[in-house]
Amino acid sequence: MTAPPVIATSGLSKDYGSGRGLFGLDLEVRQGEVFGFLGPNGAGKSTTMRLLLDLIRPTAGSGRVLGLDTVSDSLEIRRRVGFLPGDLALYPKLTGRAMLDYLAQLRGGVDPRTRDALVERFGADIDRPVHQLSTGNRQKLGLVQAFMHEPELLILDEPIAGLDPLVQQSFHELLGEVSAEGRTVFLSSHTLSEVERVTKRLAILRQGRLVVVDSLENLRKVAVQRLEIEFAEPVGADEFRSLPEVTEVHVDGRTVTVGFEGSADAVVKAAAAHEVRAIRPHDEDLEDIFLHYYRSEAAA
Amino acid sequence: MSLPVAKIALRLRLPAAASAAAGLIAVMIAVGALFPSVGHTIGTLNVPRSVSNLLGGGDYGTITGWFRSEIAAIYGPLVIGALAITGASATTAGEEEDRILGLVLAHPVRRHRLVASKAGAIAVVVLIIAAGTWIGLVVGVAVGGGGITLVHMTALAVQLAFFGFATGALAIALGAGTGRRSLATGVAAAVAILGWLINSFAPLVSALDWLKYLSPFYYYAGHDPLTKGLDTPGLVVLGVVSLVLTAVGMLGIDRRDLRA
Repeated sequence: MTAPPVIATSGLSKDYGSGRGLFGLDLEVRQGEVFGFLGPNGAGKSTTMRLLLDLIRPTAGSGRVLGLDTVSDSLEIRRRVGFLPGDLALYPKLTGRAMLDYLAQLRGGVDPRTRDALVERFGADIDRPVHQLSTGNRQKLGLVQAFMHEPELLILDEPIAGLDPLVQQSFHELLGEVSAEGRTVFLSSHTLSEVERVTKRLAILRQGRLVVVDSLENLRKVAVQRLEIEFAEPVGADEFRSLPEVTEVHVDGRTVTVGFEGSADAVVKAAAAHEVRAIRPHDEDLEDIFLHYYRSEAAA
Repeated sequence: MSLPVAKIALRLRLPAAASAAAGLIAVMIAVGALFPSVGHTIGTLNVPRSVSNLLGGGDYGTITGWFRSEIAAIYGPLVIGALAITGASATTAGEEEDRILGLVLAHPVRRHRLVASKAGAIAVVVLIIAAGTWIGLVVGVAVGGGGITLVHMTALAVQLAFFGFATGALAIALGAGTGRRSLATGVAAAVAILGWLINSFAPLVSALDWLKYLSPFYYYAGHDPLTKGLDTPGLVVLGVVSLVLTAVGMLGIDRRDLRA
């Protein structure tokens, strides 16, 4: 028997007027997965998370978290969920330790060993007042408070913001462990590169509407890829434009940047007709995936 | 009530409350020390009734009138009102605008319980300042030569505390109900100042005399606690208004979206 979804929304909407908000979100997040929730700033990611935690109320539709209604059962949901807001704010005058103690007390206490292990893992400074901490160090406190009660579901809004690469690595490892324990992570980002190492499935949101929900593998297949090719002599754009899978060509002196879908074979073979100094692949980015789906919708 | 919420709200406001209480004590000792040398001289001044009313009835020639004008009419309500209003606005709407409430309310805390806890913390702040007022009165009156009974000084401190509860509760209602700090602070302060003016000037025009019943100052000091002691009906009015306004804030925050 399939486990019920940890997050399930049905037509979830929050209309702020003037086209802003979230509109008709139908989404399911399964138990034990690290689910990426992507979109540019203002796409509705934070609005969705705030709706799930009953910080704001829907204007239409409904949501269920851990099988509970987001409005009528919000207290129980908040007991079982860890949340990191995207714009984390803490009491500036309190030390990190006092802040964590306070948030732990709101949950009726947490296992101090778990909290201390997280503090050590992230290298969080808990002895200085929050106002003396850098953005990254404040974010570490935010991560500790989100994980310290070992919640069944973690809702993390832009969790990597401000973290240095080493802490990012620790964070990614922790997500893997959490997922392996059967716990679920719902994390947002505005860049694909932040989540691609930890998530297998993701949703893309734009202007308050769900564009696509799919596995990262499937999304990559349809994404526009780019090769930056540096030639010994200038090469014309037409040689590449005529290739069937090429979507864009940009020439800058002796460097040609070619965007294409699917296989790179034709592009590489066309380039091989000239003396090539260097080939630099550009990872597909989120905007390319957006553009792909926009094109698809326009064509439909 | 959520004890952790109340404790942290109080902890963050304790330094300001302690400073204000210490400041009031110092001012009242200074006021008491001045009375023997200037009281009789100022007492002979012919002050217009409107100005006299603003200062709680004038009568600088007696130590009761001296403290009524200096402390009961001005410093006491000014300090306790300011601390109650700014504290209540900051702990509700201020924390919401600063995005701290969004994190706290992602924890298993009911919104109305959070507001009740913060109202409790502000009540303690008010009590600290009222206690400071009482200590300052006792010492200041002694320094000024005595002449006010302990019962009457206690009555003023109690009346002042209830005035603080009411002004703080108004800011709680506005802050929790709207999530807008400037609105909560501005409107509550305007109501307090308007109440002071109404209570002072309305009795001068018989047709407007009834307006004084709308002023929290009337229920706080209209009965002259330094002379007549506790005004139980006034305390009941201020107490009920405080409870109703706190309930308004609790219901208000339950029914709306968090702003940040």
